[in-house]
Amino acid sequence: MALLRAHGIEAPLPGGFEGRIFVRSVIGNEVTYPVAHFATFALPADVGDFGSGAVNLMGPNDIFASLFEYGPESIGTALFSRQGMPRSLTTDDFRPYVLRRGLGGQSGTQWFFTDSGRPFTLYVVLGSHTRRSALVPRVNDLVGSIGISAPTVPLTARSVPTGPTMAPGARWN
Amino acid sequence: MVALAVVLSTVVLLLGILVAGLLRSHADILKSLHELGVGVGEPSGTEDLAHDHRHGTANGPDGVGLHQVPIALGPPLPGERNSTSAPAVAGVTPTGDALGVSMEGEHLTLLAFLSSGCATCAGFWDALQRHDQLGLPAHTRLVVVTKGPDLEIPAEVATQAPVGLPVVMSTEAWGDYEIPGSPFFVLVDGRSGRRIGEGVANQVHQVVELVRRAEADGRPFDLVTQSRAHAEGLDGPERELANDRELLAAGILPGDPSLYPRSLADLYGPDGAPLGRAG
Repeated sequence: MALLRAHGIEAPLPGGFEGRIFVRSVIGNEVTYPVAHFATFALPADVGDFGSGAVNLMGPNDIFASLFEYGPESIGTALFSRQGMPRSLTTDDFRPYVLRRGLGGQSGTQWFFTDSGRPFTLYVVLGSHTRRSALVPRVNDLVGSIGISAPTVPLTARSVPTGPTMAPGARWN
Repeated sequence: MVALAVVLSTVVLLLGILVAGLLRSHADILKSLHELGVGVGEPSGTEDLAHDHRHGTANGPDGVGLHQVPIALGPPLPGERNSTSAPAVAGVTPTGDALGVSMEGEHLTLLAFLSSGCATCAGFWDALQRHDQLGLPAHTRLVVVTKGPDLEIPAEVATQAPVGLPVVMSTEAWGDYEIPGSPFFVLVDGRSGRRIGEGVANQVHQVVELVRRAEADGRPFDLVTQSRAHAEGLDGPERELANDRELLAAGILPGDPSLYPRSLADLYGPDGAPLGRAG
């Protein structure tokens, strides 16, 4: 099983999955944090943080997942109060309207949580809502094996912006 | 006299050891060449640069190697290699991110195993900067694989990495695919999840030809294979006569160039689409 490991995230890839773990290049004064993308189809070179440029390529049997880390200001907020990444999703967790980009037939789920002292969101898209009973177990194969390490440098000390404002990510969606 | 005999005996003994050593060294070299598939006296070692391995192995019952890749490029590869498995390639990028590429899907994946320092690779690094102009068939995904940061300097790979192409640094992938050296190319069919072509190339056009050959071999054979004469149950001279009549009616006379295709382009056209439908 192929293993991806970078930026404190480790992901053994289940069969048929590919992925990347990266940190976007900084533009201006923005601060960027690790993002992990996983897909059962060929990921294009330039994919938005939450799958723009990729989800439109999905077939009905495909899966796309994004694990997106937020900045230290999110730690301790209500949105990220859940501790630990969800490891076992159910078909009921997926809704056609939980999509950043509403494409017909697809459905998605999104979770905010803190894991190992790092705030994340997990966003998963299924190629077909009607096939979720077959696709969700594959999602669980993936998310069940992802490991997140505690930051080696205290999160509050990492990548502190130098400017007065924090610019949004280059490709937010 | 005794001293002379002792000296001569010693010299003879030393010469004997020297000859034995040379013979042993020669045998080792021959053995290594044999393992590389280019043993002295083996006819397969003098074949054309691009050749077909399907007719040269003895691993299978019909002479087809059980683990031989259908289309090979360059010098023969050791027969004991498993040339069909196509595991996912995972490693890091030159910038330190993690990247894993699956071979599964409805597309072909061309893995280019390159090194930052090899002279022959330089031409490929340069050509891959214009990867959209290589002429690879549609639905072909090109992925560059170098050895990992333990054996390559990421900064040097980064300076040569083509923009827009995935570059994976993975020593493990070189082991998984048993890459004998660089530059080396592997073509994987995503539908079967198997290697369908591989080998050494010196020029980009050889690689493109490899992909086109593989694509042509794997293309659904949509030409009608049964002629009308065959369908009508004709056989022997009657079928031949009926076929000749059909060819004449289509304006194809004896000696027509279309009867003697010389390249895949003659059959499929420059864009890879079949030129005609028989029957």
